[in-house]
Amino acid sequence: MADKITFWYGCNVVRHGDIIRGAMALLEAVGYEVQPAGGAGYCCGTAKDANLRAAEGMGARTVEKFNAHGNGALVSWCPSCYRHMNSFMGEYTTPQFTLSHFTEILHARREQLAVKLVRRVDRKVMLHKHFGFREVDVNPLVEDLLRMIPGVQLVDAEFAAPGHMCSALSRVPDSLRDVTRETCQQAINIEADTVATVFHSCQRLLCALEGTEPFRVVNYVNLLTESMGLDLRDEYKEWKLADGEEEIIERVGAPRIAAMGEKLFRESILPELVRRPLK
Amino acid sequence: MNTAEKPDTLVEYLDRFIDDTLARCTRCGKCFEACPMTRYAEGLSEADPKAVVNGVLDWLKQTPGQTPQGAADSVKWLKVCTQSSRCTEACPEGINAMKMIRVAQMSALGSLGAPAQMKSREEPNFFRKINAFSQTQMSDEEMERWQR
Repeated sequence: MADKITFWYGCNVVRHGDIIRGAMALLEAVGYEVQPAGGAGYCCGTAKDANLRAAEGMGARTVEKFNAHGNGALVSWCPSCYRHMNSFMGEYTTPQFTLSHFTEILHARREQLAVKLVRRVDRKVMLHKHFGFREVDVNPLVEDLLRMIPGVQLVDAEFAAPGHMCSALSRVPDSLRDVTRETCQQAINIEADTVATVFHSCQRLLCALEGTEPFRVVNYVNLLTESMGLDLRDEYKEWKLADGEEEIIERVGAPRIAAMGEKLFRESILPELVRRPLK
Repeated sequence: MNTAEKPDTLVEYLDRFIDDTLARCTRCGKCFEACPMTRYAEGLSEADPKAVVNGVLDWLKQTPGQTPQGAADSVKWLKVCTQSSRCTEACPEGINAMKMIRVAQMSALGSLGAPAQMKSREEPNFFRKINAFSQTQMSDEEMERWQR
């Protein structure tokens, strides 16, 4: 019988359905029965530092919901959620589950995964690394996983960025600009044709580089699932690479814009999709 | 996660964390010296590490209605923190300095009684955007099963 886990994918990763579905496929491939949970209803409250009552309520509610799942094992995708659970939420609530990071449990069962990586993915890959997620040393874990893919040539870049992922740098725009520039320079210097991101916010903030740089930007999950024979579209990247507002609107499509509300789309979604990487 | 004698609320937990940090921190400044982000705030790289850390600790003391001494450089530091964790690795007392800075940020945002010296970076429409993007990537049935 498969081990049942709750897969806590988080909030901001919902832009990347391909990453969520790919991560679930990988967990299932190594023998887990996956109960996904995420979005606003499972927010950790990490963005609510200016309103601690709200942060406390959100954290407590989310822990209660995970306890109600009754799985005993929670697997986090997002490093911010993981950090917030360990640093704050778990300190004033009573979690009835263990917490692991996605990279840890996938790496621990990598031999089961290896036999499912049957399709060659001929790419020269540079991993885009950050050094701030000290709780889990994700970079070597991901590098081990990438090395298992037939056809992948992993080339090492000496550079690792501050912060735990690129969204943390957004608050200091000059640092995000430096990291983006250095990532491009390193990839060009070592002639990588693919920059692999570890986390969703790096994928979100860097994917549009494909429009101007001689490499692709792909989350490592998508490289693994591609080798499993799955075809998962990074639709968010397609939107980011569109040529102007009209093409973005066409790609997102009128029914989805209508479903989210034209006003919200125009005021909050479209400006994000039009924005280019700082460089 | 420590399960012994747990506090009931987040603020109660923060009070304990603050008391513990204030008791253990020796104000040596190693955390500040290890930070890779100080060059992103004007003049911060040249600031006295001990004075900056003292300013951070003043934020933790959270005297209601009173702006901490030495606030200027400490707020500059709080503003450029991107959670790189170098500070925690550098602390000779084993303090989670990254968490210390995070709690000081909460205080500087006005959450713990002192007057706010930082603006919240919370994105307007954050949850509405999350729901909107979710709708583009998931079916109604998945939204109901995965996100409610």
